Amino acid sequence: MSRDQHELVSLTLTEAARLVSTREVSPVELVEATLERIAAVNPRLAAYITVFEQEAMQVARAAELMVLAGHNLGPLHGVPIALKDNVATRGARTTAGSKILADWVPEHDATVTARLRAAGAILVGKLNLHEFAWGGTSANPHWGTVRNPWNIERFPAGSSGGSGAAVAARACFGAIGTDTGGSIRLPSAVNGIVGLRPTYGRVSNHGIVPLAWSMDTAGPMTRTVEDCALMFSAIAGHDPKDATTARAPVADYMVGLGDGLAGLRIGVVPGYFFHHLQPPVHDAVRGALDRMVALGAQLVDVEIADIHGNISAQLTIESAEPSTYHQRWLRERPDDYGDDVRTLLEVGELLLATHYLQAQRYRALLRNQFMDAFRRVDVFVCPTLPFTATRVGEAKVVIEDGVEEDMLSAIMQFTGVPSLTGLPSLAVPCGFDPDGLPVGMQIIGRPFDEATLLRAGAAFQAATDFHRRAPEL
Amino acid sequence: MIRNARIGAAEVEALAAHAGLPLAPGRAAVIAPVLDAWVADANALSRKMSEERCRLLVPVTVLVHPQTDEAER
Repeated sequence: MSRDQHELVSLTLTEAARLVSTREVSPVELVEATLERIAAVNPRLAAYITVFEQEAMQVARAAELMVLAGHNLGPLHGVPIALKDNVATRGARTTAGSKILADWVPEHDATVTARLRAAGAILVGKLNLHEFAWGGTSANPHWGTVRNPWNIERFPAGSSGGSGAAVAARACFGAIGTDTGGSIRLPSAVNGIVGLRPTYGRVSNHGIVPLAWSMDTAGPMTRTVEDCALMFSAIAGHDPKDATTARAPVADYMVGLGDGLAGLRIGVVPGYFFHHLQPPVHDAVRGALDRMVALGAQLVDVEIADIHGNISAQLTIESAEPSTYHQRWLRERPDDYGDDVRTLLEVGELLLATHYLQAQRYRALLRNQFMDAFRRVDVFVCPTLPFTATRVGEAKVVIEDGVEEDMLSAIMQFTGVPSLTGLPSLAVPCGFDPDGLPVGMQIIGRPFDEATLLRAGAAFQAATDFHRRAPEL
Repeated sequence: MIRNARIGAAEVEALAAHAGLPLAPGRAAVIAPVLDAWVADANALSRKMSEERCRLLVPVTVLVHPQTDEAER
């Protein structure tokens, strides 16, 4: 009970949960330390929109009494967790990072929120994001521009930028993000943390403000793969309130984390995965693959004949569906949107129905080609995005040859594939660039085979220390 | 190959009128370059998906059966 604040917030989620269960650390200590950390870093990061100071302390005191009485609610008992602010919380405002929903106070929890509470998590606050999750920078005109804790002049990516920044800055032990075109994996990569986009239908979207219904997912963002598995176990599974959730059995994701990489067949698409990258990203991901081979994995070159075209399909679907959801507000309150989101919503109204449906047919084509490839490989490994964190406020990015490119299209080069195919994908830190900014890789697996992704990621983290490094704030 | 007609502010205004989307002054000029780039790529994807080899592909859309879920509630 004598650990200082730095020591407490530096614990992993799994360590914190274990120490609570063995009465070596109190939930009150964890929440106090987390709230102090939030107060210290949030003015610089703008990661939180709302902090539940009083409620979290009340729940922490109750959780402490329960532990002392020998009662443990679940695997997350007493651990401070935060939610992206598009996830509904009963009685607490849920803004979706917008002005339009600035005063929305839901009457019910999202299923993800309810499951975290049931597992014993203590919710400490709601995290900033790109407005309505429609964008990749988290430069939010209403709630502040989120900044990257590794360098506050750099962006945290998005749309779950607050989740990525808060986890990396030790301002919570784990966070929920949502991912349509990459919004969990991108901020995980540029903030140097782990993020899981589950198989579409594995985690309920009930109570989450939608972006694009046919691709939206929710998932955990943590500092280690083990933490990710623990949190994922708490939220995965069928939900009668969300008809798109699957009835596929939920594995115990903590089992098998130590099984290693021996015999794992890793697919790479040479003509796509290692082209159009900043050199430090190329080198870090290649180095990670070398490390995985040294640990017993095999590399298999795979051709995905129609992988080119995925960015257009992604943009078409990810603009048409939000524009449908926002149609009334776009007509009644257009000035209440930030400039970039307003433009994207207006563009989405002007695409043709045939564009949208051809993009949805392309998803079937791409998925078929990946499923065929999964006869020869167990996972795919590629970069999460082709560049490291850009300067805050940039709408363009230079990837190679000094050529400026549109940020939104460039950032989806690799994350669009799982989004379109519905395949699960795990972002794992795998290096740093010469400026000390994190690089992430993406491990893509078969439908509902998150266990293999977690096994591969855990084996990589057991042999590396990228995830143990912390930003200095 | 058919070349796409370029989309400028006038085309955006016409499309928005068809969509019943009122645009504030100056918005069409902001939208036009984005839409122009995206539609060109979307048309290329449409050409790919119109190839004979793709004829049997069905779009990824979801039909749920609410009566099943109502029973579960």
